[in-house]
Amino acid sequence: MAMVMDLGFPSFDYSTTTTSSTTTMTASSTDEGSNWNAWSPVVDWEALFGDQEDFQNLIDSMMDENVVLHPIDQLHEEEEEEKEYNNLSREYHMAAAAAAEDSKGLRLIHLLTAAAEAVAGPNECRGLARVILVRLKELVSPTDGTNMERLAAYFTDALQALLDAAGGGKQPHGGVGVEHHRTDMLAAFQLLQDMSPYVKFGHFTANQAILEAVAHDRRVHIVDYDIMEGIQWAPLMQALVSRKDGPPAPHLRITAVSRSGTGRRSFGTIQETGRRLANFAASIGQPFSFHQCRLDADETFRPSSLKLVRGEALVVNCMLHLLHFSHRTPDSIASFLSGARTLNPRLITLVEEEMVPQRDGGFVDRFMDLLHHFSTIYDSLEAGFPMQWRARALVERVFLGPRIMGSLVRMYRAQETGEGGSWEKWLGAVGFRPVSISFANHCQAKLLLGLYNDGYRVGEWELTTNKLVLGWKLRRLLSASIWTSQDCDL
Amino acid sequence: MFHPKKPSSMSSHERPMCVQGDSGLVLTTDPKPRLRWTVELHERFVDAVTQLGGPDKATPKTIMRVMGVKGLTLYHLKSHLQKFRLGKQPHKDFNDHSMKDGMRASSLDLQRNNASSSGMMGRSMNDGNNVHITDAIRMQMEVNRRLHEQLEVQRHLQLRIEAHGKYMQTILEKACQTVLAGDGSGSYNKAAAAPEFGPTVSFPSLQDLNIYGSSEHLENLHHQNMERDSFLPAAADNFLGKKRSVPYTNPSSGKSPLIWADDLRLQELGPTDDQIGPLSLDRGSDIDSVSDIYETKPMLSGDHDKKYEAKMDRPSPPQRTAAISAGGMQQGRSSPFG
Repeated sequence: MAMVMDLGFPSFDYSTTTTSSTTTMTASSTDEGSNWNAWSPVVDWEALFGDQEDFQNLIDSMMDENVVLHPIDQLHEEEEEEKEYNNLSREYHMAAAAAAEDSKGLRLIHLLTAAAEAVAGPNECRGLARVILVRLKELVSPTDGTNMERLAAYFTDALQALLDAAGGGKQPHGGVGVEHHRTDMLAAFQLLQDMSPYVKFGHFTANQAILEAVAHDRRVHIVDYDIMEGIQWAPLMQALVSRKDGPPAPHLRITAVSRSGTGRRSFGTIQETGRRLANFAASIGQPFSFHQCRLDADETFRPSSLKLVRGEALVVNCMLHLLHFSHRTPDSIASFLSGARTLNPRLITLVEEEMVPQRDGGFVDRFMDLLHHFSTIYDSLEAGFPMQWRARALVERVFLGPRIMGSLVRMYRAQETGEGGSWEKWLGAVGFRPVSISFANHCQAKLLLGLYNDGYRVGEWELTTNKLVLGWKLRRLLSASIWTSQDCDL
Repeated sequence: MFHPKKPSSMSSHERPMCVQGDSGLVLTTDPKPRLRWTVELHERFVDAVTQLGGPDKATPKTIMRVMGVKGLTLYHLKSHLQKFRLGKQPHKDFNDHSMKDGMRASSLDLQRNNASSSGMMGRSMNDGNNVHITDAIRMQMEVNRRLHEQLEVQRHLQLRIEAHGKYMQTILEKACQTVLAGDGSGSYNKAAAAPEFGPTVSFPSLQDLNIYGSSEHLENLHHQNMERDSFLPAAADNFLGKKRSVPYTNPSSGKSPLIWADDLRLQELGPTDDQIGPLSLDRGSDIDSVSDIYETKPMLSGDHDKKYEAKMDRPSPPQRTAAISAGGMQQGRSSPFG
C-alpha cells in the first residue's frame, strides 16, 4: 500500500476503507486529512488492479459482458472499446508491478470513477459503463462489507439508474419513488439522531439564535419552510418557558409551509405535526398556535398567503436537505427566501449541507465530490456506532441510499444548468445581513458535539461570524448561518 | 487584592453633604469638611490651570486666585492639583464621577464600570501596579462570566435535549399506534424491514449477482462475524460507559441518546421477527387483516423481546429500559381498541 501511495496518490484520503476493517489496517489511515480534491481520478488506472490475476479476471468479465450486451450492429462501438481496453491494459501492465498489494476500497473507487466517466461520456461509452457496473455489483452489497463497499453499492445502483435512463428507459425518479414505511423512517430517524449530531446541531444552533433574537418579545411567529415532524420546536418551546429574563413565555405561533404538489397526504402529515406540537406545548405550558401556508402548485411561495400579526417578532426558519429531509427544488427555495425578504423578518436561520462543489469540473469531478461527501458521512456514522452495523444499515438504506440516488440524478441533469452552490452565499448576495453567532451558541454546539464521538468538530472555517460549520475530521458536513433583513443590529 | 488608597475615607459617600453658600461648593458636614469635586468645579479648576500655563506651572495659590471660588482652601487645591498632575489627562475622559468618587471606587464598582472609566481610574491611582491589577480583574471577570455562561448553556442544553427526546417519544408512540391500527396506507411492507436483520438478504437489484468472485469473500465473512459477535452487551456497555463519562450527562434523566437507541433496536426487532414477517407480508395491504395482526402481534413480539434478552444476556440497565419500552408499546397497542 505504501508503495502505491508513493507512486500514485500521496494525497488520497483513504480513511473510508480502513476505519472499519481492523484486519487490513494500513499506514495510510494516518493520511485521512489529506486533500482528496487534489487527487485526479482519471489518471490512476494503474491502481485498479493489484495483481495480474485480478486484472485478467476483470478483462475476462468485461469481454464476456461486452459480447452479451452488444449485438452485431454495434460492431463499430466494440472496436472503439477494444481500442480503449488495449490502451488501458497497457497502463495496467505498467502499474501491476508497482501496486504490490491490492486494496478493495481503492479498487472500488476507481471502478466507480471509471463508471461515472463512462456514463457521462459519449454514447459509445455506455457499453463500457455497463460492464463496469456489472463488475461492481459483483463486488459489493449495500448491506455487507466495509463502509466503502456499502457506499459503492448505492453509487453503483445510482449510476445504473442513470445509465438506464440515458438508454431510453424510464427516467430515474431521483429517490422520491423509494417509499419506505413510516416506522422504518422513524426508526432510522431516531437512530440517526443518536448516532450523530447532524439533526440536533442544525436545530439547536438555529433555535439558540432565535431565542436570542426574540429575548424580549411577547409574541413570536416562526415561518418554517420544511417542518417535517416538528422536532426542532420542542426544545425551543422548552427554552422559551424556562427563560429567566424577559416576559414569561411569549406566545409562539408557527406557520408550516406545505407543498401542495404532494396532495392530501402531506397536508395530513403537517396537520398531525401541528397537533403534536400543540400537545407538547400544552404539556409544558407554552402558549402556542399552529398554521399552514401552502405553496403554489409550482412550489413558489407567495408572502401574501402568510397571516401576519402586527407586533410579532417574525422568524424565518429554513432547514435544507438534511439527511432525513426530502429534496426541494432550487427554484422553490429561492422563491421562499426572496419572498421571506419582503416580510422583513427579524431573523432568518438557514441550515444546509456543506456540499459546495470543490472542483470546477464536470460530472466526474462532482461525482468524486459526492462520493467523498457520503464516505465522510458513512465514516462519521460508523465512528458513532462502530459495532451496530444493523442500525447503520437501516439509516443507510432509508436515508443515505435514496439521497445518493437523488443527488447523483440531479447532478447528472444539472450538468448544463450548473445547479449548485450554497444558499448561504445566495442570501448574502440578495442583501440579507449576517448576524453574529453568539458565544453561547458556539458553546452549545461544542457541548453538543461532546456527546458524540471525537471526530466531530464545530468551526467557522471561513472568516464569517454568522455561520457555524459541523465537520467530521477535516471535512465539512453541515452549516448553520443566521441572517436578518432588518437594519438594526440584534 | 484591591486596596483603595484612603481606606478611612471609604464611607464618605454616606456622610451628609451640604451646599455651602452661593459658591456651590459641596462639603461634608464633618468637623474637618471635605470638598466634593463636582464636574463644574473641576472644569473651573481645569480652566484655571490652563490659563496658568499647565499643571506644572500652576500652583495652588495662583489657582485659588484665578478660580476665585469662595470657600475653596489651599488645602483642597493642593491635593487636587497633585492628583491632576499625576493623572496626566483626567479631564479628557472625565465623566460624571467626581475625582474623589472615582478614587474611592471599590473593586465592585470597577466591575460595573466600562473599560475606559476603570482604566482612567486605574491611571489616576498613581500606581503602575494598579493598572495591571485592574486588567487582571477584568480578565478574571471575563473568564468568570464565560464560565458562568457555559454552565448556563450546559444546563439549558440538557433541558433541550430532554425536550427533544420527550417529543421524539410522542412521535414514536403515535407511530406504533398507527401501525397497529392499520390506519392510512396500510401498506406495511415487512420485506423492506427485514434485510438488516437477516444478513443473507441482499439489496434487491443485486440479488442475482451477489457472488463474491475474489478471495475477499472469506475476509468479508470473517469481518461480518466479528461484527455480529461484538454486537453484544460488551459493546453496549462500552457505550454506556462512554456516555457516563460525559461531564453533564444526568444519569437520572435516563434520556441519554444511547439508551434510546437500545429501546429502538428492541422495538425494531419485534416487528422484524421471522415469524411475523411472512404473516404481515401476505396480508400487508389487506385492511381486513388488521384485526389478525393486532391479535397476533403483541403476543409474538412479547415473546420475542424475552427471547432477545435471554439470548443477549443483557446487563440490567438495558433490560430495564427494554421492559419500559415494551410496556409503552403494549399500552400503545391496546389503547385504540379499548
